[in-house]
Amino acid sequence: MYGDLLNALPDVLGFSNFAAIVIGVLAGIVVGAMPGLSATMAISVLVPFTFGLEPLVALGLMAGIYNGAMYGGAIPAILLRIPGTPAAVATTFDGYPMAQKGEGGFALQVAVVSSSIGGIASAFALMLLAPPLSKVTLLFGLSEVFWVAVFGLASIIFLLGGNPIKGLISACFGVFVSVIGADPIFGTDRYTFGMLELYDGISIVILLVGLYALPPVIDLLEVPLKTETDTKKLGTEPIWKALPRMYRFRKTWLRGSLIGIWIGILPGAGGSMAAFMSYNEARRASKTPETWGEGEPEGVAAAEVANNADTASALIPALTLGIPGTAVAAVMLGGLLIHGLQPGPMLFRENPDIVFGFMWQFLFAAILLVFLGGSLATNSFARLLNLPRPLLGSVIIVLMLIGVYSIHGRMFDVYLMLGFGAIGYVMDKLKFPLPPVVLGLILGAFAEENLRLALRIGRGDWSILFQNVTSLVLVALTVAVVVGPIVKRQVIDKRREAKNGSGA
Amino acid sequence: MSDNRPHRLLRPETLTASGIIVISTILLVPALDMRAMTALLPAAMLVGLVILGLLLLLRDQRKASAGEAPLAMTQSPGRVAGAFALTVVYAIATDLLGFYVSTAISVPLVAGIFGFQNPLGLAAATIIVVGSIWLIFDFAMSQQFPSGQLWEH
Repeated sequence: MYGDLLNALPDVLGFSNFAAIVIGVLAGIVVGAMPGLSATMAISVLVPFTFGLEPLVALGLMAGIYNGAMYGGAIPAILLRIPGTPAAVATTFDGYPMAQKGEGGFALQVAVVSSSIGGIASAFALMLLAPPLSKVTLLFGLSEVFWVAVFGLASIIFLLGGNPIKGLISACFGVFVSVIGADPIFGTDRYTFGMLELYDGISIVILLVGLYALPPVIDLLEVPLKTETDTKKLGTEPIWKALPRMYRFRKTWLRGSLIGIWIGILPGAGGSMAAFMSYNEARRASKTPETWGEGEPEGVAAAEVANNADTASALIPALTLGIPGTAVAAVMLGGLLIHGLQPGPMLFRENPDIVFGFMWQFLFAAILLVFLGGSLATNSFARLLNLPRPLLGSVIIVLMLIGVYSIHGRMFDVYLMLGFGAIGYVMDKLKFPLPPVVLGLILGAFAEENLRLALRIGRGDWSILFQNVTSLVLVALTVAVVVGPIVKRQVIDKRREAKNGSGA
Repeated sequence: MSDNRPHRLLRPETLTASGIIVISTILLVPALDMRAMTALLPAAMLVGLVILGLLLLLRDQRKASAGEAPLAMTQSPGRVAGAFALTVVYAIATDLLGFYVSTAISVPLVAGIFGFQNPLGLAAATIIVVGSIWLIFDFAMSQQFPSGQLWEH
């Protein structure tokens, strides 16, 4: 099982594959450092450009961007109190006060070292946990695969928090988009309205770019923040001199890594939740909790280690079951699909070199963070905050057009992407979650094909979906995921009422 | 005291829910002509969208009755509409006039309109962007971009 892991290593160390990780990490830090741009958006824009690349080069870029962006978000969080990515919100609590005290350079170094440690822990978790889980999923038949898809959709809708009605609408929309094109069994067309361009279905890349890239660009142009920063006042010293001062964070790093890995595995949770939980736990364990929020470096370490520890671990359910733990993982599933790699149990059997190579790439990306985001580069990355946002917005629009046009070489896809962009903007503003749309598109067609094949084998008898223990366990898990949050909410409400009653 | 809130039927969530209900109902019509198994998933999703749209509509109207403010769509509607319009115009121009001409006009135009008006910076950025795209995609990767329908006919 782990032999394949070692066999994949030489390929990853090849020049082009390793260069892709380096470029990805640098690009990720740049993207993460710019408020308004996220790893999800960067990977969405990147995915179409990876069509012509070898799968490992493409995946190396994605792994690098993901890791780089999670650290990059700390740069504006520390220097300007503007989180570059949502996951960096908790970093502002102590990072910004440190910068105001003239310790911005040290705060950035704590952030980069902690991010790297979190990323390394997460990559090891992916390497250790994904292969055995994939062995279990190899036993799944048609009905089990159908229930896995239903469970995946249910978990991302109901565990994401927020409004379940909006989550369900998002998922229904995604699944509906997945049925556009030829019927997978009979070949008859559905909702193509005579347009040949729709006969093969809608490419996930068009949806990803529209939903995840256009709304942030519109936001960039809507509110042109002035983010000028003086990098001369950072007080940066060489990173090797700063490392001994970080030794006392070792317990926080361990705790934060475990929290981040766990949150990453849970579908629907994300880096920001991991960072908040890690920050709170570290503060609770601290002997001097009163200094937190006033420039305590351990606070930066706690937040950053956790938000990077959920990167690779989010891919454990994504690679083995096809259920992404986070929005970025959902976009990465799209990236795998365009290279003909169907996430799920067969991925490990049919493409072990690629899937295990991808795991190594996460590890190397996390290690490279210290070298590329360390003391030398920190000042340069901080200067990125001075880039004019309207110019950035106009360049991203051009990149989006090139990326989507180059999929099939037709403008139809560009117009379709703009349509999805408009829908994505409205959904974003009205707080409809976007990951269920992507997951609906990925799992919708997958679930339909398996359901219909299972029904054909069972001669139309629906009870075939409930005829084995695995299916029943998956049904029970789905019900638990749907009912659990409702029961939890009712219990909390009752407790609150009881507390208010006794208080009065 | 003036109340700037929109009419309760013009609240963004109400309008969105109404749109979902109307479009999903219209899209249900083609499903009637499909085979049962072919129509199963799309029909289930569309019926689901109609029901969920109704629930969203009712919930938002209940909020309106309780005097709750609607979710804010945008801080500056003019800039958002302008950004969308310029993006669509850029796509249409690429189709009609060709990629390079449209991009050379669009990059400085969009950046200029939205607040970056340094002529030297705009010129440098346009040359770098268009030049890099030509070098990477056209020259190195032989990627063809739209040459413009106007010139083709």
